[in-house]
Amino acid sequence: MAEQSIDGAAGRVTAADGDRSTRARITILLLSLALALSMFLSLTSGASDASAVRVIRDWLTGASPADAALAARDQLIVYDIRMPRVLLGVLIGAALAVSGAVMQGLFRNPLADPGLIGVSAGSSLGAVAIIVLGTTWLAPVTLALGALALPLAAFFGGLAVTLLLYAIATRHGRTSVATMLLAGLAIGALAMALTGILIFMADDRQLRDLAFWQLGSLAGATWPKIGTIGPVIVLALATMPFLARGLNALALGEATAGHLGIPVQRLKYTAIVGVSAAVGASVAVSGGIGFIGIVVPHLLRLAMGPDNRCLLPASALLGASLLLLTDAVARTIVAPAELPIGIVTAVAGAPFFLWILLRKRGIVDL
Amino acid sequence: MIEACDISVAIGGKRIVSHVDFAARPGEVTAIIGPNGSGKTTLLKALTGEFSYTGTVALNGRDLSAMKPVEAAMLRAVLPQSTSLSFPFTVREIVRLGLIGGRSGVLPCEDARLPERALARVDLEGFAGRFYQELSGGEQQRVQLARVLCQVWAPVLEGRPRYLFLDEPVSSLDVKHQLIIMNIARDFARRGGGVVAILHDLNLTAMYADRIFVLHGGQLVAAGSPTDVLKDELIEKVFDCRLKVGALPAANMPFVLPQSAA
Repeated sequence: MAEQSIDGAAGRVTAADGDRSTRARITILLLSLALALSMFLSLTSGASDASAVRVIRDWLTGASPADAALAARDQLIVYDIRMPRVLLGVLIGAALAVSGAVMQGLFRNPLADPGLIGVSAGSSLGAVAIIVLGTTWLAPVTLALGALALPLAAFFGGLAVTLLLYAIATRHGRTSVATMLLAGLAIGALAMALTGILIFMADDRQLRDLAFWQLGSLAGATWPKIGTIGPVIVLALATMPFLARGLNALALGEATAGHLGIPVQRLKYTAIVGVSAAVGASVAVSGGIGFIGIVVPHLLRLAMGPDNRCLLPASALLGASLLLLTDAVARTIVAPAELPIGIVTAVAGAPFFLWILLRKRGIVDL
Repeated sequence: MIEACDISVAIGGKRIVSHVDFAARPGEVTAIIGPNGSGKTTLLKALTGEFSYTGTVALNGRDLSAMKPVEAAMLRAVLPQSTSLSFPFTVREIVRLGLIGGRSGVLPCEDARLPERALARVDLEGFAGRFYQELSGGEQQRVQLARVLCQVWAPVLEGRPRYLFLDEPVSSLDVKHQLIIMNIARDFARRGGGVVAILHDLNLTAMYADRIFVLHGGQLVAAGSPTDVLKDELIEKVFDCRLKVGALPAANMPFVLPQSAA
C-alpha cells in the first residue's frame, strides 16, 4: 500500500502500530538513572574541594576521620550547602517542567509556559511585595504567616494571573491561543511594572534580596527553605498524575473531553491551582527561572509522544536533571563567583524556543 | 430512549433553537435535517449537554442535567463536526482515548485490541501508527468515529441501550466511505442502540433514517418517517429550493444514488 511506504519513509514512529508506551517506559527508566547521576555530580562538584564521597563514606561506615577539622568543614559544605541546593534543584526543576507540561495540556498549546504567559511574573510580584512591604504596609500579613508569607504571596500572585488569563482567553469552551499569549504578555508586563515600582521603593538591604529575583538562582538554598516549599511542591506534583488522563482527553477539545466523561471544570481548576502552587513555591525561593517549562516537555513529546500519563513523570525527572546540570554550570563556569541560573537557562532556552517556533510553524497556528 | 421536551437554546442573547420536542428510540437511526443555520448542531449540543438549554433532556428516563460526565459518557458517545488536535498523537493514541471514560462493553482483556477493531470497521486498517495530523480530512473524520465507537462499542450494556450522536458524520467522505459509515450507524441501531445523526444528503437520509426531524429557523417543522417527511412542499418551504421528490432527470443526464449500492 502506498500509505504504508510513506509511513515507513517518515519513520518517526518506530513502533509500527503507533503504541509508544514501551518507549515511554524505557525513557522514564533512563531519566531516573540520569537524575541519580546528576544528583551525584551536583553533590560532588563545587567551588571548594570538599569530598562528598568521603563524607558519605564516613557517615555510612561510622569511621572517624583522620583530620577532624577538615572532615567537619567538608561535612558542613556537603550537608548544609550542597545537599539543600541539590534538593532544591530537584524540587524546582521538577515543579517547573511539570507545570509547563500541565499548562500546555490545559491551554492545548505547546507554547504555554508559566514564564512566558506571566504566571511567574505574577508570583514574583507577590513575593517582591512581601519583601519590600513586609515590614510596613503588609506587616500584619508577614506577622501572621511568618515564613509562609513569601511562598503564599507568590502562590496567590501566580494564581491570580492564571485565572485572569483563563477568563480572558476562553470563550464558549474554546481557548484562543493568540489571546492567551498576548494577554499573558500584557499581564506579565503589568506585573513586572508593578514589581518595578516596588523595587523603586526598596531600600539597599531589600535591593540585595531582590537582585536574584530578576535573574533566578538556587544560591539561597537552606534546609528551612526546603522545609517550607518542599511540601507544597511535593503535594502539587503528587496531584498532577491524576490529571493526566483528563489532559489527554482535553487535547481533543473541552467539549469532547466532557463527552468522554472527564469533569472538565474540576480538571481545569485543579490544574490551575496546582500549577500556581508549584510555580509560586519555586519563584518564592529561586526567582524566575525560565524555559525549563517549555523545553523539557517539548523534548519529551518528541521522544515519546504526548501521552500525559508518561509525559508528566518524565518531565519531572528531566526537569530536575536539567536544572541540576544547569546549576552545576552556573556554579563552576565563573568560579569562585557564580552566574544566576536564570541567565544560563535563558541563554540555552531562548534559541531553543525560537527553533520550536520555526519548526512547528504549521502546528502552532495562532 | 432519548426524550427532549421544549428545548430552547440561546447563544449570546440570540435564540438559536426554540421549543423543540425531540425523541430518538433505540433500534432506530434518527436523522436531523435542515438548511445551514437552522439550529441542527445547536440542538445536538443541547442533547449532549454541551450547551445549556431550557427544557428537559432524558436519557433512558434519567435527566441529563443530573448526570455526572462519566455517567453520561457510559450511555452515549458524540462525534463532533470537526476536531482539532493540539499535540502530535498517533492514530492509535487518539482511538484509545475513546476507552478512558465510558465502558466499551467488551471484556477488559479485549479492550487493548479494540482500537484495531474499531479502525478496521471504519476502513482504516493499518493506520494505527500514522500521525493524526498527517491524515486527510476524511481519514481524520473516520479516526474520530473509531474513537467514538470504542466508547460505546456494545450498543446495549447491562440491558440498557446506548446512543451515538453524529454531527455530519459523512460530510468530508467519499461515497464509498459514506456508505460504510452509514452502515455502521444502521448496524449499531439494529443491534439495539440508538443513533442520532445530522445529515445533509437527503438521499442518504431517505435510505438510512427510520425517523427524520426537520428544523427550520430553530423550530421543528416536521417529524416522521422518510416517506411522511420528504415531500415536495416541505422541501421547498424548508430548503427554499423547488425540488421534486422522486423525479428522474432528463434521459441523457447521469445521476448516481447511494440506494444503487450493491
